[in-house]
Amino acid sequence: MTVFKERHHPPKADILAIDDTPENLALLSQMLTEKGYKVRSVTKGSTAIRGAKALPPDLILLDVKMPEMNGYEVCQHLKTDDRTKDIPVIFISALGDVFDKVEAFQVGGVDYVTKPFQVEEVLARLDTHLTLRKLQIELEARNNQLQQEITQKNAAEDKFAKVFRACPNPIAIATRGEGRVIEVNDSFLQMSGYTAEEVIDRSIDRLYSPSALIVYRQALQKTYSQGYVRNLELEFSPKSGEVKTILLSLEIVELEGNKCVLQIMNDITERKRLENEFISLVSHELRTPMTSTIGALDLLNSGQLGSLSDRGKQILEVAIRNSERLIRLVNDILDLERIKSGKIAIEPIECHLQPLLVQATETMQAMAAKAQVNLKLEPYDVVLNLDCDRILQTLTNLLSNAIKFTEPGGTVTLQAAVIENSCSIVVRDTGRGIPADKLESIFERFQQVDTSDSRSKGGTGLGLAICRHIIERHNGKIWVESELGKGSAFYIDLPLQF
Amino acid sequence: MSKTILIIDDEEDVKEIAQMGLEMAADWNVITASSGREGLKIAAIEQPEVILLDLMMPEWDGKETLKYLKAEKKTANIPVILMTAKTQSAIALELASLDLAGTIAKPFRPLELSEQIGRILKSKQN
Repeated sequence: MTVFKERHHPPKADILAIDDTPENLALLSQMLTEKGYKVRSVTKGSTAIRGAKALPPDLILLDVKMPEMNGYEVCQHLKTDDRTKDIPVIFISALGDVFDKVEAFQVGGVDYVTKPFQVEEVLARLDTHLTLRKLQIELEARNNQLQQEITQKNAAEDKFAKVFRACPNPIAIATRGEGRVIEVNDSFLQMSGYTAEEVIDRSIDRLYSPSALIVYRQALQKTYSQGYVRNLELEFSPKSGEVKTILLSLEIVELEGNKCVLQIMNDITERKRLENEFISLVSHELRTPMTSTIGALDLLNSGQLGSLSDRGKQILEVAIRNSERLIRLVNDILDLERIKSGKIAIEPIECHLQPLLVQATETMQAMAAKAQVNLKLEPYDVVLNLDCDRILQTLTNLLSNAIKFTEPGGTVTLQAAVIENSCSIVVRDTGRGIPADKLESIFERFQQVDTSDSRSKGGTGLGLAICRHIIERHNGKIWVESELGKGSAFYIDLPLQF
Repeated sequence: MSKTILIIDDEEDVKEIAQMGLEMAADWNVITASSGREGLKIAAIEQPEVILLDLMMPEWDGKETLKYLKAEKKTANIPVILMTAKTQSAIALELASLDLAGTIAKPFRPLELSEQIGRILKSKQN
């Protein structure tokens, strides 16, 4: 029956009771067993110590007055062994015995009861200390777990810190707003030539050249609004003063509740040097034979070297037209590359728009007349910050396109107006229009509406790409709206404040 | 008597085209040199009315040749026109600081060369 009961109710706790008086032990054992405790009873201190070490109980009830080894000694022994030192010990002392409470606590006891027992008191104290012990064990386990978690977290942080420090790309982290550097990696220090002390807590602004700083600040604004900027080409000023070209990526990160800007760089100085060298080489090596070819064809075409048959003249025209196209292509490729790479600086100055509109129209008037297209300018003036030559280049390019794609008798109009904070310039034609799926792509390199256009219209396929880069470098926008068969309108929006 | 022009260019074909254009369009007496060094020598002896000098040449480039021409007493006063395939504004600015009568962009139209040179010389006289 008891066995059956035990199976269903596991003992509340395992108690080791030590008393040299068997009667006392029997009483204690019976009392505790009835309350659902498992009790081991021993009459000798040495046996108790062995038993406790072999199978540590949850709590020990220990008589003070015993022959051989008294309770204090037993307790001291228990407290010196790792297996038993944490087991709570409650002393039992007979009323009238010499019992030193202070010593009882000093040797490691947690409490005491006096004989004869008051059952409730023993049970209450037992319960209290078992609960305390249980809580202590739980606390230790929780503590261990926390320690382990901290270790793991530290290991993870250490891993990422190592990756950050060892990253081959230079990285800096600066505060949002004032741009105070809070962290840099080794690669950054290597590229900048500064020591950590020379950059940490100081503004990152001084690491960008004055012209780069304007572009950098624009990129920051963009980062604040869209969260990131990728691969922005920029000039970086290291300590040595030897300017480097970098690709800069920015990303907003939150560190300890503060918004920061993560700046990852890529040193492309050497690549740029090779690129520029190549462009310069192409510029010279391609133009030199073109000079001879175009010159030779021109001389043949003059008729002063003997006359050609009509068919011969026709063939000569083909050669001239194509060599001119080739030189235009070379010029446009170089132009585009230089604008893209920032090699051609866009130098905005305060200027009136009207003279530019007039000049662009006048320049294209002859072409319009030849194509029997009506070219109209609606005069408008506003003062803007512009690189005049480049804006003129853009306007003549748009007008030239419009004229090319407008049938004789059609009209091309150039208009401008200020709307809110920007100046809007429109080149409108009554040409064949642009299909909806090409409205974006025509601003990419070599993306004409019809691939035969570069042959039939004499374009290079680079004009609009160049226009786009010029306008974007002015912080402006360029786009086209069109209706097939009715015509197209190319819009340029330039900010009033650049 | 027709005026003499000295063309200094390492590219034989370009020189030939320029020479033909000048001779056909106007009655220029054209002499040529294939390097800056040779050009300096010929210029000192022949005393041309004008020198057409290429910018991109091996050994002495156009700028260096110009420096020697201007440093040499016998050639210092001969107007020099620089031929350049580079039209970028940065280059234009750099060239503006040199002691040049003017520049002509490559590729040029050979038959218009004479007129271009005439215009440059005339504007310089004014």
